[in-house]
This record gives sequence, structure tokens and C-alpha cells, in this order.
Amino acid sequence: MQKWEQIQGVYIHTPFCLQKCLYCDFASYAGADTETMEKYVDAVCSEIMMRSNEVTIADQATLYFGGGTPSLLSEKLLAKLVEALQKNGCWLQPAEATIEVNPGTADLDKLRFFKDLGFDRISFGVQSLNDAELRAVGRIHTANEALDAITMAEKAGFTRVSADLIYGLPEQSLQTLKTSLQNLTAAGLQHLSVYGLTIEKNTPLAGMLDKGKVELPDEDCQLAMYELVQEYLEAQGLHRYEISNYAVSGQESRHNLVYWHYLPYLSFGSSACSFNGSQRFTATDSVTDYIESIQSGKSCGGFEDLTKEMQLSEYLFMGLRTTVGIDLIETEQRFGCDVMLEFGVELEKFIRGNLVFCDIEHRRMRLTEQGMRFSNEIFEIFVK
Amino acid sequence: MDQNKIRNFSIIAHIDHGKSTLADRLIEYTGTLTKREMEAQILDSMDLERERGITIKAQAVRSSYKAKNGEEYMLNFIDTPGHVDFTYEVSRALAACEGALLVIDATQGIEAQTLANVYLALDNDLEIIPVINKVDLPSADPDRVKHEIEEVIGIDASEAVLTSAKTGLGIEDVLEAIVAKVPAPSGISDSPLKALVFDSKFDAYKGVVLYVRVIDGRIKPGMKIKMMATNAEFEVTEVGVFKPNLVNVDSLEVGQVGFFAAAIKNVKDARVGDTVTDANNPAAEALPGYRKATPMVFCGLYPVENSDYDNLRDALEKLQLNDASLVFEPETSVALGFGFRCGFLGLLHMDVIKERLEREYNLTLITTAPNVIYQVFRTNGDVELVDNPSNFPDPTVIDHVEEPYVNATIIVPKDYVGAVMELSQEKRGEYENMTYLDETRVMIHYALPLSEIIYDYFDRLKSVTRGYASLDYELAGYRASSLVKVDILLNGEPVDALSAIVHREKAVSRGRQLVEKLRSLIPRQMFEIPVQAAIGNKVIARENVRAMRKDVLAKCYGGDISRKRKLLEKQKEGKKRMKQVGSVELPQEAFMAILKMD
Repeated sequence: MQKWEQIQGVYIHTPFCLQKCLYCDFASYAGADTETMEKYVDAVCSEIMMRSNEVTIADQATLYFGGGTPSLLSEKLLAKLVEALQKNGCWLQPAEATIEVNPGTADLDKLRFFKDLGFDRISFGVQSLNDAELRAVGRIHTANEALDAITMAEKAGFTRVSADLIYGLPEQSLQTLKTSLQNLTAAGLQHLSVYGLTIEKNTPLAGMLDKGKVELPDEDCQLAMYELVQEYLEAQGLHRYEISNYAVSGQESRHNLVYWHYLPYLSFGSSACSFNGSQRFTATDSVTDYIESIQSGKSCGGFEDLTKEMQLSEYLFMGLRTTVGIDLIETEQRFGCDVMLEFGVELEKFIRGNLVFCDIEHRRMRLTEQGMRFSNEIFEIFVK
Repeated sequence: MDQNKIRNFSIIAHIDHGKSTLADRLIEYTGTLTKREMEAQILDSMDLERERGITIKAQAVRSSYKAKNGEEYMLNFIDTPGHVDFTYEVSRALAACEGALLVIDATQGIEAQTLANVYLALDNDLEIIPVINKVDLPSADPDRVKHEIEEVIGIDASEAVLTSAKTGLGIEDVLEAIVAKVPAPSGISDSPLKALVFDSKFDAYKGVVLYVRVIDGRIKPGMKIKMMATNAEFEVTEVGVFKPNLVNVDSLEVGQVGFFAAAIKNVKDARVGDTVTDANNPAAEALPGYRKATPMVFCGLYPVENSDYDNLRDALEKLQLNDASLVFEPETSVALGFGFRCGFLGLLHMDVIKERLEREYNLTLITTAPNVIYQVFRTNGDVELVDNPSNFPDPTVIDHVEEPYVNATIIVPKDYVGAVMELSQEKRGEYENMTYLDETRVMIHYALPLSEIIYDYFDRLKSVTRGYASLDYELAGYRASSLVKVDILLNGEPVDALSAIVHREKAVSRGRQLVEKLRSLIPRQMFEIPVQAAIGNKVIARENVRAMRKDVLAKCYGGDISRKRKLLEKQKEGKKRMKQVGSVELPQEAFMAILKMD
């Protein structure tokens, strides 16, 4: 069986947060009570039971608890979820099991508990190590709390710890970004995900920007930040392996690589997306709807059938996010088509402009550094 | 029907003064249509006309009215197009009538467009019946309006009919006035056929349907007819009237208004203003006043997708079936590829055609900025007509250039006279004269280059007079002007479709404005784009479109790849409406930039 015919990653979504960040337009909700969380977790357990036997799950399939804030769930509820996954063949000998943790919800006991449950990797939502920046976007923790959390994770026995960082935040300067990067690498982190702040419509931050209540670093500054991240982290031995991800060799997120390699994954919980190679299933964003449909045995979401063209285009724009790019022979095997024949004309100008590199000898294609900077412009040619 | 009982009339009114409402009321009052039928009828008319509130094609409705004297009359109402672009069509529709209702808003008074049409009606010896509408409004001042009619037009307004088309007040009075004052048609029924074509439209089943007024003789199915301007002959297949839907009749008699079809395939053979006669017994001479419609405004139309070229040609051919004044010929632009140079009666006509092409034929088009037709006198004595700025010859071979001028009539409250004069002066206008219509309103005459009118004169006029000014104009020949061609270069490459012909004194400022506007319209791309304006080899202005800094999509939440794909699709969709010119992607608006400058 080919690796793209088996589930290679399992994702569990927790749609709860203590407080919603001002930039977030994701399906997560603040202020849920214990009862809702319990009902939700019960529903997820039922969903795991119902849906996991419909697919073939690789023994090594990675696990990822994301959110929202999964670390907000009680120990009891987390244990329940893990048990359900184990019982239903979703958690066998995972190549990696990650839990996202908000530094504001972490303490040593909790982190030890995660370790005991079987998680071997932690992803901290740090976003910045500057208190003014953290406040400006409504994060619930301070810079020191984030650094403490990282130290505690180490104490709890985690050797694989990652942090998310955002550049282009209100109040941020090139200097404060550099300080955040320095402090994170000094804390021993071997994996970082660094994203440019995206202003999504209908978020409080978008409204504040419209009214002129906050100001973002200008475009030139944002570009300088983008470049700083790359230069600084490369110099610290964290190589870029995907447009927004950096790691010491061997520390790459295996779960995220499942997405980038366009391999099948199974997800549970509200708003979660699953992918079986030719269909995507997306669960409802609404926690109540999700719970109700599971309780009444109805489907909690909708399928999207992906045509061969859509699959190929998604495979390309996901695969080309990685620095190693795509394997043209594998592409041909999987989709029965030659990328250069299919998109050669459009790719030509990007290849000539040194944005795309075609490694004829090794039959690989990847974006150059310049290409990563304009990746959207390139990916556009793959979609309809 | 007794010829003495026929009344043919039309309505002259400024836009918004209530013409359509009054027409609807008349049709309703005479019982031609019920209220419900009328709504259905209105829904049938062209979307564009309804949206713009302007009649583009003439229409004719026959109704019968039993007057207070007990007699039954046949009323033929001929609706006229309501825009300066279609002045010739208006004149022909008026020529088909013996009388006209002059509808004036009791709160506003006479406007320039009304005045122009009243003069057309007087030229055609029409009996004018003043109707003062909207008298129900609190600010109505019928006496002032009556006074104005007498002062300005010089006709007796003492018996003006006061109406409110909205409430239905005075409708019967209008009908009685038509019966009493509009003369019956005076033609001779046993003379050879003479019928005036005042409009035509193409019908997929009938061929061209000609709207006619029988001046002499009669027309009936089976008759062999001849178009006197083109000498084309056809056999009449159908004769009918509008009630307002088409109803077939046995014949159209002298003085009557209606339509006929004769398996005519092209409106070119059925031109407005032409005379229809009996091929076997032709009239000695045609009716006066015929002229071929001449386009005044030209622009290039190009498909955004090169593969749509054939579809665009087919669509233009179809529209031309219905519109003899639309002309087009293939042209090639270095920047835009294959397209058509199209000629229109005016800006509204151009907009209407362009919108119909996009809406009805689903084409995505690039329109180059409209321009007039120039007469270029070469040093070797040749005269060349230039309808495309990119064909403007090299200055070294030009002796002089002439451009079309118009006589413009502007009516405005007296407080704005200064502003109007300042604007007209700036637009190279030559002051001719000024008359006071009453104590508050003034009529000003200017000779203006047509190119300034189509550039932004009307918009500016509206803005400097806070919307109070009304404008009308007529072509007044060619005059010599000092004109130069300004070229636009993107990334160092000239873009022919962006060239413009402007007055020498304005070239530098216009060039500067144009590059600034283009800079703001051209989306940033992966490289910097210099935008330059040049006269010959001399660069007169330059701006840069800065390079895009980066374009990176942030993280993908929990495997939601669909969301990412949709974002990319949306981004791509936006670019589909752009045109690749060399290495630069240009939005459609860029080609109209020269018209959109403040």
C-alpha cells in the first residue's frame, strides 16, 4: 500500500479558549463551561468511534491536538480522548504526538501529565516575547510566562518543543522581533513556526485598524522582518524547511509534513478537516451543532469531492511550500501527469525569473528563496 | 378612420420632468392598457433603459380617445430618445408628428435639453402645447414657468395645461388639448406612398421592423416598396400598430403611425429618416431631412481574452443589426492585440453598447479612452482622418490639425455664471453670448472642442454648478488647434492603447496627471514599473509603481487546504480581468484613466 492510501496523521480539535485573540477568525470560542467541554469531548469520542473504522490508519500515524486551546481541557477529558484514540486504532505507535499549549495555561504538573499521556512534542503559542505586543493583540500570557513554560516543558521531559511566533504585530519593531527570536533560541527551542500577521475580515483587530486605533509596521518593515527571521534562524542552526517553519535537522514537525506532502489525514471535532486522498470532509464550525449531530447520529459536516485537477493543484501548492519541494517522479506516479507538461508554459517565466528551480538531475522542483517570498503569485497558476 | 380624427404627437421633456409618468397616465386614461398590463409592459423594455431612466429607442403607441365633443379620436404618441447623442433620431420622430407636448417641471423651469428639442419641434412646424407638470409639489411655481416659456421660447403659455402625472391631475385636459390644438395630418391618400422611417429594430422572426408615419398614400401587405435613400426594394409582409404591443392591421392609411416588416435583414437598409415609397408607383421626391448617422466618438474595444475576438465580432454584428449608427472595423494594437475601433453617436451611446456587449454577450472587454475624429493636414497636402490616437502622424509631417467643435448651450442660475465661464475658458471654449431667461436664470453659448466635452466637461459643469446646469450641444464644424500626441510608456515600452491627443499647452499637466493616475491604478507587481508620459522622444512625466514586497500565505489551520485553495482562486479571478501588456498586468480601468482624472 502506498503511503498516500493510508491515514498518516490524526488531528483532534479543541474549539475552546480562555480569551479570543484580537486577530483570530478561527472557529474557537471563549467562555465555555465545564459541562459544554464534557459534552464536546464525549461527542468527539463518539466521532472517533464512528469514523475511524471507515479508513486504514498507518501504525505510525502522527497525532496532533490543536485548537483553540487543547491545554484548556481537564486532565480527565484529555485522558478520555487519548483512550478513545487508542481503543479505535488511531494512536498505535505514532511517529509523533503533539499538543498545542497556551503558555498562560501551563504548569509543571500539567506538562508532566501530557508527557505521561504519551505526548512527545509540545507546540507553544508564544507569538511574541514582548509584553506590549502581546497585550496589543489580546494574548493572555506575558513574555516571562512563555519563557517559564518552555523551561517547565524541558523539566517535564519534553525534548521536542516548538513555538509559534508572529511578525508584523502592532507595536512590533525589527528590534523587538529580534529580541523575541534571540530569547526563544536561547531557551533552547529547536523548532519555530513564524507567520506574518494576517488581518482577517470581521476580527476585532481589523476593526481597530479601520478606526486607526492601532498601527502595523509598514510594508518595508514587514519585509525586513520576514528577512530577519530567515537570516537569524538559519544562523542559529534552525533551517527553513517550509515557508513559515524552521527546525534543527530531525526536529521538523512530522504531522505538518503530512499536510504539506498531501497525505491523507483524519480529524475529529468541530471545524476539523479530514482528507482521504480524493475527498475533504469539514465538520461544522458550531460547537452546539457539532454535539447535536453526533448525539443524533447524523453527519457533523460536509464532503467536498476533489477532482484530479484540484488534487494536483493542492498537492503542488502544498508541496512547494517545503524547501525540498516536490518529487516529479512521485507526482507522476500519484497523479499520472507530468507537471512540466501541464504547467510548463506558466512556470517558464518563474523559472526564468529564478523563482522556481527545476532540478532536472534529481527530478525535483522547488521554490527558490525569492520564490518563497512571492509564493502566492506562483501557486496561483495551479488553481482554476 | 377619418383622417381628421387622427392626432400624432410626441412629448418633449427634460430628464426627470415626468415624461414617462405622463405617457403612462395617458395610455392608462385612454384604456389602452390596464395598470397591470402596463407593469408587465415596462418589464419588457430594455434593462439598460430602465436603469438609466433614458429612452434610447423611439416608441410609438396608438390609443383611441372619446373626446368631450363625443367624437372618437386616434391618438398616436411617439416617444423620443432623451439624450443629446440621439438628436437626429429625435428630429425624425418629431417630423412624424403634428404636435408636441412641452412638459416642464413646475418646480424647475426650462432646461437646455428641452430647449434644444423645442427648437427641433418648431423647425418641424409642430403645434406646441405647454404642460406644466408636478403642480402638486409645494415648491411648484407655474406662473414663473409660464412666464419663462413665453420669454424664452416665445409661444403663448396662457393656456398651458397644469398637471400632476403622479396624482393624475389634468390628464383629461391634456387629452382635450391634443384633440383641440394638434392639427390633423394633411397628407393625400391617393398620392404615391411616402412614409417617414423614424426608428427601426431588428426582430429575429420578422427581420427589421420599421417604425413609420405615412405622409401620403397607404401601405399594406404584399406591396412592393422602395427605400428612397438606398434604392433597396422589398415586399411588405406585415403591417401593424403598437397598442403598445404589436397588433397587425390590414393597412396603414395616410396620416397614421405604425410599423411594417418586409423581410429586411439589416437595419442599414432601413435608416432612420429615409422615405418608403411604392416601388411600382414611386413618389417624385423623398421627404426632406434625411442624413446618414455619423459617429462622433471613437474608442477601441478589445476582448480581455484574445480567444473572445470572434465572439466580440459576432456580438457587434448583432448589435449593428439593430443600430445603424454603430460602426466598427478591425484594428490591431501592439498592447491589446486584436480588437475593433468603434464609432458612436456620443458617450451615452458608447456606454450603452459597451454594457450590452458585456451583459448580453457575456464578454469581458477593455475599452480605450474615447476620442473624436481629427483632420490632419500633412505638409504634402494630404488630409487624413484620424480616429485613433496611435495613428496620429509624426509631428514633422503635419502642417496643421483640425478638431471638431460644438455649439454648446448651458442654462444655469445666474450665481453660477462665473463658474461656468471659468470652466469653459479652461476647456478652451470661446464665449459667444449670454441671455437672461428671467431674473434668476441665464443661457450661455460657448463654442467648445468636442474632445473637451467627452473628456470631463459635463461632469465638471455639474460639479461647479452643484448640479443646476443643463447642457446641450450640436456639432459646429472643424477648427484648427495646436494638438500633440502624448504617449505612455510602461517599463520603457510604449503602450499604444494609452496614447492620447491633447492640446499642446495642456500636454505636460495632462501627462503628469495621467502617469499619477496610472500609478494608483496599476497593482503592484513583483518588479518596479516605471510609468512615463512622453511627447515624441521627450519624457514629460514619470512615476514608479513600486514592486510588491512579498506575497506569502500564512499558516493553514488544521489541514484546511480548501480555504487556501479558495484564496488562491479568488486572487487569480481578480487577475483574469487584467490585460497582460508586455510584462505588466493592467486593470481594465487603466485604459480609461485619462477620463478619470480629478
